[in-house]
Amino acid sequence: MKLNINSMTRGGLLVLALLLCNFTFAQRTITGTVTDAETGEPLIGANILVVGSSTGTITDFDGAYSLNVSENAKELEFSYTGYSSQRVEIGSQTKIDVTLSAGQQLEEVVVVGYGSQKEKEITSAVTSVSAEDFNQGPITDPSQLLQGKVAGLQVYNRGGDPNGQSVIRLRGISTVGANTEPLVVVDGIIGASLDNVDPNDIENVTVLKDGSAAAIYGSRGSSGVILVTTRSGSQSKGVEFSYNGQTAASTAFNSVPVMSADEFVAAGGTDLGSETNWIDEVTRVGISNVHSLSASGGSGNTTYRISGNYRNVDGILKNSGFEQFNGRVNLSTKAFNDKVSIDFNSSFTNRNSDFGFNEALRYGVLYNPTAPVLGADAPFPFASEQYGGFFETLGLFDSFNPVSIIEQNRNQGQRTEVTYGARVGYDITPNLELAARVANQKTTVANEEYYPTTSLFRGNATSPTRKGLAQFYDEITSFQLFEGYLTYVADVGSRSNLRVTGGYSYQQNNFESKFLSLGDFPDNSLDFGNLIQTSQDLQNAGFIQANSAVSPDEKIIAFFARANMTIDDAIFLNASVRREGSTKLGADNRWGIFPALGVGVDVNRYLDINNVDLLKVRVGYGVTGALPGPNGLSQPIRQVVNGDDGSVSTELIRAANPDLKWEEKGELNLGVEFTMGRFNATLDLYDRNIQDFILERTVDVAVFGTDRRFENAGLLTTQGAELTLGYDVVRKDNMIWNTGLILSTYKTTLEEYVVPEEQRANLGAPGQNGTNMVVIREGEEIGQIWGPVYAGVGEDGAPLLEDINGDGQVIGDQGNALNPEADFTTLGNGIPDLEFGWTNQLSFGDWSVNAFFRGALGHSLVNTFRAFYEPRISSQTSYNFVNTELAEPGLTSAQFSSLYVEEADFFKLDNLTISRRFSFEKGSAIRGLTVSLTGQNLFVLTNYTGTDPEPSLVDYGSSDNGGVVDFSNPDVLSPGIDRRYSYFASRTFTLGVNLNF
Amino acid sequence: MKKLFKYSLIACLGLSMAACTDLEEDLIGDITEDIVVEGINIDGPGSGDGALTALYAELRNAGTANHGGYYSIQEITTDEMFIGAKGGDWFDGGDLIRLHQHTYTPNHPFINGTWVQTYNAIATANDNLGSGNLSEAETAQARAVRAYFYWRLLDSYGRVKLVTETNEDPPQASRQEVFEFVESELLTALGIAEVSESMDLSNSPLADGGSAYSMNRYGAMGILAKLYLNAEVYTGMPMYDKAEIAASYIIDSGQYVLCGDGCSVPNLGKRPRVDSDPETLEGYAAVFAPNNEGNPEHIFSVRYDEATGPNMNFSQMNLHYSSQFTWNFQEQPWNGYATLEEFYNSYEDGDARKENNFIVGPQLDFSGSALLDYAADDDDIQLNYTPEINELAPNSLREAGARPAKFSYKQFGRSNMDNDFPIVRLGEVYLVRAEAVARQAGNWSAAEADVNVLRARAGVAEYNGNLTEEEFLAERGREMFQETARRTDLIRFGKYNGEWWEKPSSEPFVNIFPIPQEQINAGGGLTQNPGY
Repeated sequence: MKLNINSMTRGGLLVLALLLCNFTFAQRTITGTVTDAETGEPLIGANILVVGSSTGTITDFDGAYSLNVSENAKELEFSYTGYSSQRVEIGSQTKIDVTLSAGQQLEEVVVVGYGSQKEKEITSAVTSVSAEDFNQGPITDPSQLLQGKVAGLQVYNRGGDPNGQSVIRLRGISTVGANTEPLVVVDGIIGASLDNVDPNDIENVTVLKDGSAAAIYGSRGSSGVILVTTRSGSQSKGVEFSYNGQTAASTAFNSVPVMSADEFVAAGGTDLGSETNWIDEVTRVGISNVHSLSASGGSGNTTYRISGNYRNVDGILKNSGFEQFNGRVNLSTKAFNDKVSIDFNSSFTNRNSDFGFNEALRYGVLYNPTAPVLGADAPFPFASEQYGGFFETLGLFDSFNPVSIIEQNRNQGQRTEVTYGARVGYDITPNLELAARVANQKTTVANEEYYPTTSLFRGNATSPTRKGLAQFYDEITSFQLFEGYLTYVADVGSRSNLRVTGGYSYQQNNFESKFLSLGDFPDNSLDFGNLIQTSQDLQNAGFIQANSAVSPDEKIIAFFARANMTIDDAIFLNASVRREGSTKLGADNRWGIFPALGVGVDVNRYLDINNVDLLKVRVGYGVTGALPGPNGLSQPIRQVVNGDDGSVSTELIRAANPDLKWEEKGELNLGVEFTMGRFNATLDLYDRNIQDFILERTVDVAVFGTDRRFENAGLLTTQGAELTLGYDVVRKDNMIWNTGLILSTYKTTLEEYVVPEEQRANLGAPGQNGTNMVVIREGEEIGQIWGPVYAGVGEDGAPLLEDINGDGQVIGDQGNALNPEADFTTLGNGIPDLEFGWTNQLSFGDWSVNAFFRGALGHSLVNTFRAFYEPRISSQTSYNFVNTELAEPGLTSAQFSSLYVEEADFFKLDNLTISRRFSFEKGSAIRGLTVSLTGQNLFVLTNYTGTDPEPSLVDYGSSDNGGVVDFSNPDVLSPGIDRRYSYFASRTFTLGVNLNF
Repeated sequence: MKKLFKYSLIACLGLSMAACTDLEEDLIGDITEDIVVEGINIDGPGSGDGALTALYAELRNAGTANHGGYYSIQEITTDEMFIGAKGGDWFDGGDLIRLHQHTYTPNHPFINGTWVQTYNAIATANDNLGSGNLSEAETAQARAVRAYFYWRLLDSYGRVKLVTETNEDPPQASRQEVFEFVESELLTALGIAEVSESMDLSNSPLADGGSAYSMNRYGAMGILAKLYLNAEVYTGMPMYDKAEIAASYIIDSGQYVLCGDGCSVPNLGKRPRVDSDPETLEGYAAVFAPNNEGNPEHIFSVRYDEATGPNMNFSQMNLHYSSQFTWNFQEQPWNGYATLEEFYNSYEDGDARKENNFIVGPQLDFSGSALLDYAADDDDIQLNYTPEINELAPNSLREAGARPAKFSYKQFGRSNMDNDFPIVRLGEVYLVRAEAVARQAGNWSAAEADVNVLRARAGVAEYNGNLTEEEFLAERGREMFQETARRTDLIRFGKYNGEWWEKPSSEPFVNIFPIPQEQINAGGGLTQNPGY
């Protein structure tokens, strides 16, 4: 912590110094103006670059510039977004005025998988986001860079858990039983870990949204594809360094409203004599530091970039956070008269995490506010030593001293990842290239938990015999990838071209894990988590838990081909096919075929409408698959049963299904792209059909010998629309203002399913088992929250429920939810109707402001904290009561109803960045400096009374009494449940420095 | 090595495709075929059958003594046990109230759970029988154990599929057919054509006695006796004569004796500083104690063990959270199951079974101090289990209701208890014979001789011409409390649809549980029982 404060102070002083000083170093100076060729208006912020160097500047509010160049500079390049760029020889000129023409699209190149395409030629829904558009601030996981930036891409990291994984969805769920997260491809390496890419190293992210774009990735394309391109070196003189530093402070944005000690006692709570704000006791201001340093350059045919990134992030919950080091080397070279090209990427990440205990927040909410932190302050004699000096409310269900949880216990992990890949290309002829890619990735995880003998929470401190617990989990995952492909480019006239690619892909995935749990340690004098041989469990049968898992030779093998054709520079055709097989499926159905076709026409080329620069209509159709998660889906799985006499036998726990086949998604996408002057718009409409989705379902136990089996179980359809709008509102005088809006909406219907209707998402203990809150039905939208309608408080303190069907009797207990006579209705939907992101970029002089707003409408959340703890239950007077504005003080029993289902529409200022850019003359040691201040989560408009109104797209089930939540098995059919184990949302302020030298 | 990998792939890309398109899945981290390791034969004939280890374990897995399956639907649907909703705690979507008030539906999770657990057990038997690895004796055991599980289905659901081979899908059988199947399977295992005075079991592949953990002749005969006792309910045809013969065969064999005077075990629940805790458990109490293995009354029992035989969770299901500190339990109890006041009061004071079967009154912790409940919803902070109960829902008091303790608790107990659970024990066999004799005679005093054997052991006055049908049912209830017999008994005596505390009268169709909707949805062509 000392180091952090020091470096923060130093950073601050540096910023101050730079603000006060003004560096100028004179050499040969060139001045001039840049104007619009048609209107003659000055272009503000146009780029001027000395060709072959990184020396450059931008124009001011009058379109004027002044640039110091070295004597040997030969050429200047003038560029401006939306205008064609222009090169001018310097010669002996000292004043160079330039006019740039708008309307001619920049021939921007977009990575599309096994190659790249000009943006204009793309016939599918593809969005590309460059580094300058990424979200700012300390990002803990690269997917957050894209939050709200791509229409149709949902990135939600509920709460502010620095170790939490974002839930990523492209156009909603694409499968039920398999992986619903998009496929990640980093620098061409399929399945590369996004966690092994530092956000600072990312140049560009391209999202392949629809089936026709993703089909080239076949069986893994159904959930969309995210293509990440990391920064590479550029030709320049010497080495260029870039430093990025951030210091951030996070605080809890809000908390679950509970009673103060006084309110609690007044409401009949058990008074234990103290006053404790438990949330304050377990939260803090989380200080984070990020330092990134890169060196890049090139000479001859070789370019390189080397970077090191350090992140130290502290969460708002005490003892939660991580420290991470990442290193990356990207190298490109050419040889043999440029016929052979070699690209090499490698990346290494080591992350040490303090996962902490989210339970401290949960119990912080519901712990008695009159209870003391320490046992010594108890109002009655209390055996403090037995509980590490802390107070505990012994004999209560699901009640643990939150401070004791975080102070006494340890929950840590270390993850190491290494990824490297090489692509070798050989130009057989100028039109034909043979390329091969070899890549390797290995991820090692070692997690460890230790609960000392004095911890009531999982440490069993009440037991006189078996106290303390240590748990270890180790996991190694790795893959080897080999791909070879040929690309042929045909010359078919000046306005047309044809490119054909075909190849082979082989990937082998390996997985192994080990788990060990044992306890009963001597005392609390040492950290016996490091001395497990002291465990007395070694002398007692049945307490030690151990297991291991190893994957078989899991392989994915594919053959693929693609053809791109352009006719008359206005008609674009793309077709691809991938034939792919996986070891995971039934013996007769291992291979699947995934074709795609797309057509696009630049209509305006023929209509030539006035002032319209682009009017492109495109339509694409593609088939993709979803690779199921576990191995052995088609095979019978048995488990061992041990007898007391040393005998062993096995029983079947999952039945075989040799007919199991690929699930397939067919998707039709219609897109329109429109540009007129400063305005641009893209509209995409899509219709997707996911058939034969793979699901572990209940089968007839009498017949199959067990009731679980994987089957191709149904049909899911999604219709949606995405709109992207951009407008340069102000582009003159002394100000620039660009604004952009993305909107997306979709609806997913479960057309066919194994049963006509089904309930999911159990609320849980205490007392609310058998309370499934979500219903899914054939032919209906997914995500419906289903329950009775609250109508007031009854005489006995129980809730009154509406007689919805008007039959004179009320049946509202959740166990009767599918009873046709019961009074149930849809109380909300967990999936938003509309999601939007609104970006604003303002520049004036060296100052710029980025304001990013984000919101979602139409979704609901079940506030489970309220459902359990807001009723004033007489036997719960030793727990605190949740006390929101929706509380019904007369209610004394908890039962699920519409009372706890809240609309969670929100609009938030997600990110506000103010930055000042400093220019330096040529010859200065410093080439550029930007200082910025970023605020995240600055305000949220919502009526939701929980801590975070963001949609909850998946459910991980309930947990109670110190139980562990299984995050590895999300239920994607149960959105809309805000569970008690959520981390609290945070607000963060960040001071950032970007220095190039 | 890496180069080799690369080159070989490039080679096969251009040449033969066979090697680089091989997708055979060979699971090395999972078990896909049965494994059998024979155990060491320590307990006489029948023990050490490695091939049947998983099948006997199914007796534990099939909800025999835990929450949410067979035990729950047999117990809390009756007048001997209930679970009250404590202000939201234990409301559980109304599922528990529905069992108590007989308003269960095909979507009830416990009714589905029971079905799945029972068929899983049957599937393991089918798997073993189809393996071709079983000896004749093991085959007979497997068929008899499977017949027992089919008896549970017969009793609970009536019409079920009689699956005898893996992946076979027969049509749903009538209750009559299920009855006949259970009967014939047990007779086959016993090596006889029918139960009669002259039957000769010498050809039975089942063992003549031995460990209660293996199905022997007396276990199979006991299940048959219970089947015949309820034959009139299942088929409309009374078979009390056969029930009597089967019961007599067991009693007359002399292999088993009632655990009475002098039959005792150390009291593992004793608190050293609490003088009222006895040093030993004797007679009736010893039959159900944590250390009851090898009890002379046990004929066929489920072996539970805290380390190697999990799934008996009575301490958690029955006791209040704070009771953890009376027994130093490893895990906190859940405060769920309790006894109806009227049922508790049906025992007279001095009945050893009342003493053993319930926990009532103010509670003390391990050291003998008052046990405190920090969340008490009455004014007294000391935990005090009261036989009287204020209401079923929504605000049933946390301390209300005598707590079941027949399977008594031991100090330092784990969530998985050690007590063996008898499926056939001599005490019940006496009751079967008593009832069969009385029903044949049309005179309940004919039952007195056998019933008085149990009365004597319990230390209460014997019947002397005053035993009535109603009194017999009450007496059977007192003896068999917590042994999942009550629902079947109430149905046989025509009382299941009557009224009791917080339970209105119910329609006769509820005497058979609904076929679970999830199973009908699974697509095997099952049809629903009438009334649902």
